[in-house]
Amino acid sequence: MGNAIGIIANPVSARDIRRVIANATALQITDRANIVLRILSCVKACGVDHVWMMPENGGIRHHVRRGIDRAENQGQTHFPKVEYLDYKISGTVDDTLKAARLMQEKAVAAIVVLGGDGTHRAVVTACGEVPIAGVSTGTNNAFPEHREPTITGLAVGLAVTGKVPPSDAYLPNKKIVVRVNGHEEIALVDVAVVTDRYIGARALWRTETFRELFVTFADPEVIGMSAIAGLLSPVSRLDEGGLHVRLAPEDEASIVLDTPIAPGYMRGIGIRDYAPMKPNHKYRPSITDGSIALDGEREVSFTRDDDVTIELVPDAFRTVNVSGCMQYASRHGLMRMKPDQKPKMGGQ
Amino acid sequence: MTAPNSTAGIFPLDKPGLLKAYRTMRTIREFEECLHAEFAKGDIPGFVHLYAGEEAAGTGIMMHLEDKDRIASTHRGHGHCIAKGVDTSGMMAEIYGKSSGSCRGKGGSMHIADLSKGMMGANGILGAGAPLVCGAGLAAKFRGDGGVAISFVGDGASNQGTFLESLNLAAVWNLPVIFVVENNGYAESTSRDYAVAVDSFVDRAAGFGLPGVTVDGLDFFAVYEAAGEIIKRAREGGGPALLECKMIRMYGHFEGDQQTYRAKGELDDIRANKDCLKMFTQRVMEAGVISRGELDAIDREVVVEIQDASAFAKAAPLPTAADLTTDVYVNY
Repeated sequence: MGNAIGIIANPVSARDIRRVIANATALQITDRANIVLRILSCVKACGVDHVWMMPENGGIRHHVRRGIDRAENQGQTHFPKVEYLDYKISGTVDDTLKAARLMQEKAVAAIVVLGGDGTHRAVVTACGEVPIAGVSTGTNNAFPEHREPTITGLAVGLAVTGKVPPSDAYLPNKKIVVRVNGHEEIALVDVAVVTDRYIGARALWRTETFRELFVTFADPEVIGMSAIAGLLSPVSRLDEGGLHVRLAPEDEASIVLDTPIAPGYMRGIGIRDYAPMKPNHKYRPSITDGSIALDGEREVSFTRDDDVTIELVPDAFRTVNVSGCMQYASRHGLMRMKPDQKPKMGGQ
Repeated sequence: MTAPNSTAGIFPLDKPGLLKAYRTMRTIREFEECLHAEFAKGDIPGFVHLYAGEEAAGTGIMMHLEDKDRIASTHRGHGHCIAKGVDTSGMMAEIYGKSSGSCRGKGGSMHIADLSKGMMGANGILGAGAPLVCGAGLAAKFRGDGGVAISFVGDGASNQGTFLESLNLAAVWNLPVIFVVENNGYAESTSRDYAVAVDSFVDRAAGFGLPGVTVDGLDFFAVYEAAGEIIKRAREGGGPALLECKMIRMYGHFEGDQQTYRAKGELDDIRANKDCLKMFTQRVMEAGVISRGELDAIDREVVVEIQDASAFAKAAPLPTAADLTTDVYVNY
């Protein structure tokens, strides 16, 4: 298959209740399709001729098709061959899981993911060793770095065509594995333990239900659950461990943090204590009944009868190092259209 | 055996609220199952469009409403009526076209209304409810009583000009109005891919400056949580919003629909794995807040209620020729 890549674009990220409670972004389908078109033209410019895409019925593919048709009508050839995986669309996360699995089978060199933390988590669950590159089209989005997707597309193109060596092109990432009676789920950024016994609208915004938090990295520049950890004690994506935070009602807390739990949504969070989260160590929730939120969305409920463990796993999957690729491209003149031309230094 | 009463911190409703939600969903299901059987006998005039399988959406929304709040329903309106509190005997008689019906037998299945409950009417005209709730919302805003108005539409009706104009009007006037798109995946027999240029209903709301939210309409708790926030916001003056509920209907578009568009095994899968009532039951029983015995007791009561409603409807008299000229005009 050579250097074919995959693109998984989630049409239903950024659609939850935070549009109402917190003025969160509602990125439109046409915007998502335009992002895909920008990525397609960038990877083609780097030499990628074939792209597999996840089929969906949310509308992205129709707009992408129209964009490609328009370009062909105008005699332009700046898009690679685009093919859609062939399976019955469910309209659920199963589509993402299936697409990632099939792309892995087709030996794509990388998968570009358009979605929030939850979409990226689903892709990592099923993509095996294939590196991913994230484009944020969700709500809180701690995992995908925020940048113009054009640059992400260029970096992916440079990485998968070998123009940037693997040592600069890819980075290792941590994940957290949650096991409930042996059944495994993962989180890329955070695992929150809450008292709710139902999944409901999934998003987390009622802080009184928060009890405990585990994070792979803690960045004070993000929002959501991981912001709590980031504002307490930053941990980088490349550090070996993570952070474990125990939460408490404000009147019992040792610290109360003013935290952006959702876009523009500041709430006080009571902190009982926090400590480094050791890699490869099994933690257990501090409450016996509740739900576990993975990357900001309630996913699994548990009771005192369930065996629940939470474990941080280092070097779990690879991402395209967009910054590394572009720095390398600059240092080595990869984007110069006539590489033998040398600029004059000094600027006079 | 009776389960403990406390649901604090683990469910968004107290135990009586959870039992009420179950009773409402179960009543809708039993009502529709009864109609499914009775319609096949040929005694019911006109068409019926059943809400079975979609109970979580209507119930999750209506649990937040009071009688002063108005709703405008669709051609698939039985579930909305029941969840809004309309009497099931009156509904059943209305569907049979009897003079004891909610609208004295003149409306039938697609035009059941009960203004005392805030039910402005089901509607056989697709998208026609949206401008009506703008009026109801404007009235609530003038009264200042915190009332809200909700329009239900299907995915097909969202293409109607009335719907799109209403989104604009509600946004411009900042009305306490919520547009609920019940997306069951089938606009009768027209594929969404064929008929809709902008596939996302949330995008349509955004185009008019309204926030839009998509939820799993099969999950009562997802609908209840999202609807609660949206309705609260509207009551407090926060303005209109759109809620898309992704759902599944268990029967055809109408009774008699051969459903040739369904995939093989789809209906069996729905009954086995995507039944919103089963999902609700499993959730509350696993949490130990409601026992099987408590649910069984409700089931028995609901079966009797619907049997009584059906018997009442069959025994009720038909309207007379003289009734044709009554209820044509209303004095204000």
